[in-house]
Amino acid sequence: MDWIFLSELAINGALTGLLYSLFAIGLVLIYKASSVPNLAQGGLTMVGAYVVLALSHDAGLPLWLAIPLAAVIMFGLGFGIERVALRRLAGRPVVMILMMTLGLDIFLRGTTLAIWGGTSRSMELGVSYEPLFLGDIFVSRIHLVGAGVAIGLFVAFMLFFRSRTGIKLRAIADDYMASWSVGISVERGVGLSWALASVVAVAAGVIWGEIQGVDQALSLLLLKGLTVAVLGGLDSILGAVVAGIILGIIENVGSDFLDPLVGGGSRELIVAAVLILTVMIRPHGLFGRHDIERV
Amino acid sequence: MFYRLSGVHHANYVSDSRIFKVPADRNLAIFVFLFGLAAPFLLPSLYLNSYMLPWLIWTAAALGLNLVTGWAGQLHLGYAAVMAVGAYSAIHAARFGVPWEFALIIGGLASSVIGSLFAFAALRVKGLYLALTTLAMQFVMDWVLTHSPAISGGSHASLQSPTLALLGQDITSDTGYYYVAFGWCVLVTIFMLNLKRTGLGRALVAVREKDFAAAILGVNSFYYKILAFAASSFIAGVSGALLVATFFFLAAPEQFSVAVSIQVLAMVIVGGLGSIIGSYLGVALILLVPGLVNGIFAGGSQSLGMQINVETLAHIPNAVYGALIVIILLIEPLGLGKLYGNIRDYLMVWPFDQLRK
Amino acid sequence: MQEKVKAQPILSMNSVEVLYDNVMLAIKGVSVQVPKGEMIALLGSNGAGKSTTLKAISGLLKAERGRVSRGEIKFEGTDMTGMLAQNRVDMGICHVIEGRRVFEHLTPDENLTAAAPTGMSRSVLSAEKEKIYAYFPRLAERRNSLSGYLSGGEQQMLAIGRALVTQPKLLMLDEPSLGLAPFLVAEIFGILKKINEEEGMSVLLVEQNALAALEIVSEGYLIENGRVVMNGTAEALKSNSDIQEFYLGGGEGTDFHNVKHYSRRKRWLS
Repeated sequence: MDWIFLSELAINGALTGLLYSLFAIGLVLIYKASSVPNLAQGGLTMVGAYVVLALSHDAGLPLWLAIPLAAVIMFGLGFGIERVALRRLAGRPVVMILMMTLGLDIFLRGTTLAIWGGTSRSMELGVSYEPLFLGDIFVSRIHLVGAGVAIGLFVAFMLFFRSRTGIKLRAIADDYMASWSVGISVERGVGLSWALASVVAVAAGVIWGEIQGVDQALSLLLLKGLTVAVLGGLDSILGAVVAGIILGIIENVGSDFLDPLVGGGSRELIVAAVLILTVMIRPHGLFGRHDIERV
Repeated sequence: MFYRLSGVHHANYVSDSRIFKVPADRNLAIFVFLFGLAAPFLLPSLYLNSYMLPWLIWTAAALGLNLVTGWAGQLHLGYAAVMAVGAYSAIHAARFGVPWEFALIIGGLASSVIGSLFAFAALRVKGLYLALTTLAMQFVMDWVLTHSPAISGGSHASLQSPTLALLGQDITSDTGYYYVAFGWCVLVTIFMLNLKRTGLGRALVAVREKDFAAAILGVNSFYYKILAFAASSFIAGVSGALLVATFFFLAAPEQFSVAVSIQVLAMVIVGGLGSIIGSYLGVALILLVPGLVNGIFAGGSQSLGMQINVETLAHIPNAVYGALIVIILLIEPLGLGKLYGNIRDYLMVWPFDQLRK
Repeated sequence: MQEKVKAQPILSMNSVEVLYDNVMLAIKGVSVQVPKGEMIALLGSNGAGKSTTLKAISGLLKAERGRVSRGEIKFEGTDMTGMLAQNRVDMGICHVIEGRRVFEHLTPDENLTAAAPTGMSRSVLSAEKEKIYAYFPRLAERRNSLSGYLSGGEQQMLAIGRALVTQPKLLMLDEPSLGLAPFLVAEIFGILKKINEEEGMSVLLVEQNALAALEIVSEGYLIENGRVVMNGTAEALKSNSDIQEFYLGGGEGTDFHNVKHYSRRKRWLS
């Protein structure tokens, strides 16, 4: 085995993995603040990317303005989703909340495509496609940028969850009733977590949109994002980052070994296998809370 | 005729364990059954084929998922994969020359075996984690289907279903297909109606409510979970096979993708967990309404002289489908079955106040 | 002292009824007055409606699909019916809910931070924390370990401390003695008494452990089946023969043949 080739696979895998983390952070945020699994993150990511496109390409705003503006719009959308869809379901069985987020996902995707159409469009961030060589290892610039954004968000949210508002959000996830009893506005807290996750969706949408084009395939990141979130422990931001790197490496190196054997396309299989194995062996993931629902 | 029920009251166990506790339910069931029987003579064959037939088969499939999710309380996001196993096994068996009656049973049994694998996940985790595991298993099954040419003919290929023949009779007419679907749906419905009244049904409910507590009471939750998955997978397998044999005529992996799993779960939840009439209503809503709304949009834009983008029109059903799920969950989290129950209870005592249960 | 009792009560509940799910009547016309700066106990057996009374006051009923269907609850003269729980906390009512529900995945320090009102400045918050740690030295020792791993007594102290951060004028406690060793109960009740005296905080205490509760409160209400059946000063209640028999374990009856629980109770239920 060629070591340089292997390390190139691993490094690029890790970078791609960090981009999965970018997506997974949105899932983790909401779970950490409300113990609600957010299966609508794929739809949100798509909406985020399309809103950026609409502002920059259709309305002609420069990207540096369009992206923050999209973040603000999505922030509001996140609050709105909590207010309209989730507040009434607080305390209902998880199956209904899952279905609600799935329904939201379908609705967001359908609406986005109905408004902007299904043809793939490109983000045109202006990041050069020129390959970058670190020694003998080739890496893509946009992946580096994305990894940087992921790590930046990770640091920001680590700090956020140590702030007073962040502590309140963690308190809400622990116990709704006790939170109400000491005057924490659970509704506003959960709304804030959805709003922040929607902002993360803008980041993920922009980076992934640049990499694979803005179309409905963006919502297919859900499986990889979920796997990363579960592997890291559903409520751990650090977990999401570490698990993203791990999954990226496993996926990239593993598919390189497996693809010739099975005739290609083994990436999804590897991701699904990692998800199944994680849940079977260690449901709370690498860094998750230990008291999750188990038989 | 001149008196009304004042509520649901039972004076003895026999009346409490009747299939239809309320005459209104029984009358409705008889009416729907007769309508279903007479449908080929009442409806044009276009409606029969493109609305009634898929409605009945998907209802049967949804009832199967309701068994495992509504009764036994196990989340299942890989139901379409189980249907695919049944469909492919039955078609391969039929192509091999096995009579269709046996091919369907082979399909059901194959689904049962594969579906029971999902149960092993259910033995370890539940709730959200079970949903995620079954979702991952769906992806694995999808992958296996598309990547094994021996089963599906390879990716982007489809498998022709041989002519359906039951009891030595080739079935090729629309009416014939319809009655096959109708018969299967009635069979599954009768099974589900009776399940409520048996020890098995009660054991499943016990497992759903609290599997620890059920185990302490001597209900073997391990056994019942596997049984629930196996039974529901059997229904899934036969429904999947019939779907291909009478509706699609071709089996392709995309027909059983993860989106379909989500769709069946949506049917069950929108209909109401554990509600049989709910499954009928849920399937009707999820299957038919998006298409209807699309028709309204298309017709409306034409009559108003507005030009709606073709692409927009193509994606409206999806948006409507998602919105339906959200709206129904907001109106009544327990689904259409519960809404039906509320309306029925209200009408039963109509001029007076609502039933307080 | 006399004047204090006669002064405007900080909390007054007048014939409040609570409905759960629009069907179940949990309390049927409860009237309770809490004078400013006093400690009041609500006594009664399981399911009597004590917790429901507290939830009606703190606004937590909504989370359990209950509502106040009749009567009024006034806090410092303002009617609170229909007010959200968090606004009631802002007004100065804090409810320590039953079962020591601390935020288990947060440290005690973070538990206190989480409960701090949004506008509280950093310096005030740390002063508050120090004050609470002074009341509960056990908490100070474990301020940075996970709350889920604290002992039962420490968790109860944390729950009380967490409520104190909200700077309540009326502190309501739901069975703080539940499942705790008698010496811990004594310690916690002692601290409560101290807080009550030093800060002038009014306290409404729900207890099944009437013996311990009547030692520290000035007045008590006895609730049975959703109704107040007896009301009086602690001394009067302690010397009442029915209370002694049913709640204090004293009275005439070690001979259980002579204990007439049911018939006597029935008289109260009317």
